[in-house]
Amino acid sequence: MSTTNAAFEFHAIFGDLDDGLAVLHSSVDRLRVVLGRDRDDVALLRFETALGEIGSNVLTHGRPAGTQAPVDYRLRFDHDVVEASLTDFGAPVHEHLGRDMPEQESESGRGLAMARSLLDELGYERDGDVNRWRLVKRL
Amino acid sequence: MALEVQTRQTDGGVTIVAPTGRLDVAGAPALKEAINGLTENGPPHVVIDMEGVSFVDSTGLGSVIAALKQIRNRQGELRLAAPNQQARVVLELTTLDRVFPYYATLEDALAGF
Repeated sequence: MSTTNAAFEFHAIFGDLDDGLAVLHSSVDRLRVVLGRDRDDVALLRFETALGEIGSNVLTHGRPAGTQAPVDYRLRFDHDVVEASLTDFGAPVHEHLGRDMPEQESESGRGLAMARSLLDELGYERDGDVNRWRLVKRL
Repeated sequence: MALEVQTRQTDGGVTIVAPTGRLDVAGAPALKEAINGLTENGPPHVVIDMEGVSFVDSTGLGSVIAALKQIRNRQGELRLAAPNQQARVVLELTTLDRVFPYYATLEDALAGF
């Protein structure tokens, strides 16, 4: 963690699924402590849940087959708004972004729909070979 | 923390499946394996005790749905016990709280099974 003009900033680069997910959750835990929010703070839990969804997508689909390209992750909090960014080198995902919540007994396909519902803004752009994700929520 | 899953049986024949850790894309296979490994003489009655689960994502939720379908196919019943606030957020967001009866405590889930 470093301190600049923002109240909280965190940056990490990772590639392994387990390690990457652990980093995402531990960064939110650190923010939770800095903000003095308890474990059941719903706004932060909703943000963490969306972050887990996008993070797991990035870590499982975000690397071209046979490569170990790293994921770049940043978390920032300022003026009551938490914002995360993730970049990966996977295939473009435009066609999946608007996916609706599947039927109740479906075992997959909820991640992006959940993230959209949980956040104030879910941003995505394709920049050359890179997917750039932006997750924003007012706490 | 990788998901660890313990199972035990009550005197009344209910199987308690107790995962500990994150029930997410990395942990979901361990829950599926535990459910697949249940051996039952008759319809399975299963409680997933969520007290030790710190976080649930959509893949983890998918593994619970798979368990529900597997158990219902054998004319059994699945209940969820003690989901934390984050798990309840996910269940309510996906409206799966209407599919899974969940109980505040393990004792509540076992009552009347």
